Amino acid sequence: MAKPSADIRRARPLLGTFVEIEVAGATEPEMAGAVDAAFAAVAEVHRLMSFHDPDSDVSRLNREAHVRPLAVHAWTYAVLKTAAELQRGSCGAFDIAVAPTLQRLGLLPRANGSVPSLAPANADFAIELLDGGAVRFRGPDTAIDLGGIAKGFAVDRALDVLRGFGMTAAIVNAGGDLAAFGPEPQLVHIRHPRNPAHIVCTIRLEDEALASSARRFDPFHTADTFGSAVIDPASRRVPGIVDGATVRAPCCMIADALTKVVMIRGIEASDLLERYSASALMFSADGTLQMSSELNDAVHLAA
Amino acid sequence: MTWVRYTLPAAAIVSAAAPAYAVKYLSIEEAQKAAFPSAHFSEVQAGRVWKAEAGGRLAGLFVFDRVIGKHLYIDYAVALSPAGAVQRVEILEYRESYGGEIRSPSWLAQFVGKTAGSALKINGDIRNIAGATLSSTHVTEGVKRVLATYGKAVR
Repeated sequence: MAKPSADIRRARPLLGTFVEIEVAGATEPEMAGAVDAAFAAVAEVHRLMSFHDPDSDVSRLNREAHVRPLAVHAWTYAVLKTAAELQRGSCGAFDIAVAPTLQRLGLLPRANGSVPSLAPANADFAIELLDGGAVRFRGPDTAIDLGGIAKGFAVDRALDVLRGFGMTAAIVNAGGDLAAFGPEPQLVHIRHPRNPAHIVCTIRLEDEALASSARRFDPFHTADTFGSAVIDPASRRVPGIVDGATVRAPCCMIADALTKVVMIRGIEASDLLERYSASALMFSADGTLQMSSELNDAVHLAA
Repeated sequence: MTWVRYTLPAAAIVSAAAPAYAVKYLSIEEAQKAAFPSAHFSEVQAGRVWKAEAGGRLAGLFVFDRVIGKHLYIDYAVALSPAGAVQRVEILEYRESYGGEIRSPSWLAQFVGKTAGSALKINGDIRNIAGATLSSTHVTEGVKRVLATYGKAVR
């Protein structure tokens, strides 16, 4: 029997960011095969849920679901179902139907240059999940964007694949939304949302997920951070109280989505965090860091 | 749920300290082997384009490219099928910094001779980094350029 080799680590451009997969505990060809399959799962999520790809489930829904019900892939359906649950649980702070607002703000591209009209904010959930994996939108002004949840879902699917291939340890990091399993804890460095060059703390992660949302930055152009892609559905503005949020949760889809709720609601997100066995830390606009006490043992603040 | 509040040192916000973060994932040779196992490679364009042949037949084209930004280089490779379609895009080396040191030869020299798998830990022990999401737009644009330039050349 071939001896397990050192770990392997690969990265590919997917989901609009760099997705990195690292595995250990098997032979080189076994690990390479597992990593390829895990990337294929991430690519499948990308193909189904991209706002930019005209053939994705999301684009098909945005074009036609207000006219007739459309059948979607089981994965898309699962994400929509969790999104609906989170929207109810967060009293509308988590809302995948913010796409028209993101388009108006220039954060998402517009279809044929038109200015999208806005559905009433916090209307009843604008998306109907029908039996048999079909989806219908209640009105013509509804448009969804899964950018706040799909990366986390993709990370979960990649880890499922790696477990299925018998890897003993793995970590999948989709541009800061990450999850890991294995005997050794993983150390994750958290950047400061206003100064990505500065590491604020490290978090020890064991068989769980960690997701972060913050102001976006593009080191190609500038080291400065600029506007966030998180929008408060009630005010349709970039929320002001939190600069960046990191959420630890049992799975990455929930961690990813809850970062948006924390960005918008701050510590008022506590009940929802508890309901999902999640904990959080957030950077306030006044320069302070707040952390739920569950994280105390896992976080180490940098000097 | 109880919350604990920390006041971060001002340095955390205005710090000009510019840690570099870099990872080497694969060498060109390793990426070629991963993209076209058991193929034979012949250089078509020096250091940039290789033809992959297996069993006397064209298996595809391997293109190495680099996106250069103000503060950041990313080396990546695109494997094209014989039909000229993108088969895989793999990041070979990722470098990120916020200072000017990326232009200095001594800083760049750290990368020379590193083998893949030896993740470069330039700034201490940073292996997993999170925070604001990095956009991969420039690599995506690069892949489109590679496809436009070489996609037809394969056929």
